Amino acid sequence: MIYDDEIETLPREALEALQFKRLQQTLERVYALVPFYKEAFKKANILPEDIKSLKDLHKLPFTTKDDLRESYPYGMFSMPINKIVRIHASSGTTGKPTVVGYSKADIEEWAQLMARSFVACGVTDKDIIQNAYGYGLFTGGLGAHYGAEKLGAAVIPISGGNTKKQIMIMVDFKSTVLTATPSYAQLLADTIEEMGLLDKINLRVGVFGAEPWSENMRQKLEEKLRINAMDIYGLSEIMGPGVAIECEAKEGLHIWEDAFIPEIIDPQTLEPLEDGQEGELVITTIKKQAMPLIRYRTKDITRIIKEPCKCGRTHRRIQKILGRSDDMLIIRGVNVFPSQIESVLMEIEGLAPHYQLIVDRVNNLDTLEVQVEVDSKVFSDEIKRLQSLQNQIQKDIKDLLGITTKVTLVEPRTIQRSEGKAKRVIDKRKI
Amino acid sequence: MKRLNQISVFVENKPGRLLDVVEVLGNNNIDIKAISLADSSDFGIVRFICEDPKFAHEILTKNGFTASLTEVLAIAISDRPGSLAKVLKSFKESNINIEYMYGFSAKIKDYAVMIIKVSDLEETIKCCIANNIQILSQSDIKSIV
Repeated sequence: MIYDDEIETLPREALEALQFKRLQQTLERVYALVPFYKEAFKKANILPEDIKSLKDLHKLPFTTKDDLRESYPYGMFSMPINKIVRIHASSGTTGKPTVVGYSKADIEEWAQLMARSFVACGVTDKDIIQNAYGYGLFTGGLGAHYGAEKLGAAVIPISGGNTKKQIMIMVDFKSTVLTATPSYAQLLADTIEEMGLLDKINLRVGVFGAEPWSENMRQKLEEKLRINAMDIYGLSEIMGPGVAIECEAKEGLHIWEDAFIPEIIDPQTLEPLEDGQEGELVITTIKKQAMPLIRYRTKDITRIIKEPCKCGRTHRRIQKILGRSDDMLIIRGVNVFPSQIESVLMEIEGLAPHYQLIVDRVNNLDTLEVQVEVDSKVFSDEIKRLQSLQNQIQKDIKDLLGITTKVTLVEPRTIQRSEGKAKRVIDKRKI
Repeated sequence: MKRLNQISVFVENKPGRLLDVVEVLGNNNIDIKAISLADSSDFGIVRFICEDPKFAHEILTKNGFTASLTEVLAIAISDRPGSLAKVLKSFKESNINIEYMYGFSAKIKDYAVMIIKVSDLEETIKCCIANNIQILSQSDIKSIV
């Protein structure tokens, strides 16, 4: 099903013409109204009118998360505060959060894109959507909520946490769609299983995002909950959830190109890369009013798939996010994403998907410890079997990444469960 | 039934974890008849024998432990020098490998009771019968105080 047939299947040529028109408007807007951009354009020795086609996009300066922090709280807004109707902020693990503002039209546009996303991944107006994304400064809860209402589905604004109550409501209200972070969906699934209620739930679709997750995790969630588990992408700086979404082909996420222009760059040299090459995703918003961003560095690692999709949408796809360059661990010079370790663990029969990575530096050498929970499915009375499980994990990681890890088996439920974004890595290195 | 169900529990190798296991058992009035602790570098396995292993397994699982039931044998050996060697010799002749073994604390009438986990349970039972080695059943365990 397609929500907005005209725009979602617009021929590439027309779509790119629309993009360019909107890009020009955006550039004029930020140059005139946001001092940060006037300054940045001057530094780069460029004017909005120098951008003569989409191919000139790379001439524009980047915007980074630090730029947003430095303009805390309202410095990036291109509208006076009385035109702003909503303010979100992303969690600042270090220092100040980054603030985003929305005009009335921005909120409407976001709801449209989110409704479009819901439909693309198989949700309809007849669904009962249990929205377990957090409501509040985080964009997940309200973003999904407005999209669900726009679509005309019934939305249960339960927010994150309160797992037992979530499950009671899921059973009693007959929720058919679950929106949550994949790690929280995992916790919900485990708890439903423990409570013996797996055959009492009515879910058919899960819309999971806000953190990277592996194909194997998808499989486990789909099998356990008997759903289609779909990946949704977004980030608060750009808008929130609904920037890109998987269609039912599950071969990458369509990024809504009538509202965003995606690019992939080499995160080291900052040079643009061809479609198909893996690098950092950079997004320019071309429809936002209150806080347009030019070439925002998302830190998310993916590639652009330009080949047409079997669903008929013409908007290009990005591959399921491999990880964030922020989350990327460099262990003895090797780049490691937690999602890669996760995929190894999920390959092993019976292993619970609860793990944590502990990075440390001993005698100037990086060490990576992988802690995995042992549940009754893999537990053996024989120590040698457990040790061979440890060895297998170690070997599989070594085969994939070429690094030696220490694998520690821990008791069930000792790794902290997450109700929002999972904390997979503890880095104890003091560099 | 000659086989005994032993409970095995996964524990991390850190202070207090064995205590956590036995406390749960004590609070549920489960009497441990024999117990052993096997360890590797970062985890261990607590193995024990009690009267009602299924109940103990259920209690432990309910309390969040990873536990399993394993079939083992309890053999009574006369408490005199050389008698364990005699038993083991019979096993060797039947090509039976002992994976692990631990003893009962209680003594019954000049006998020591050993819990053994073997490579081939059927073969071991046959060997014991042929060589007059006494195997205790789950109901015999009850009578051991």
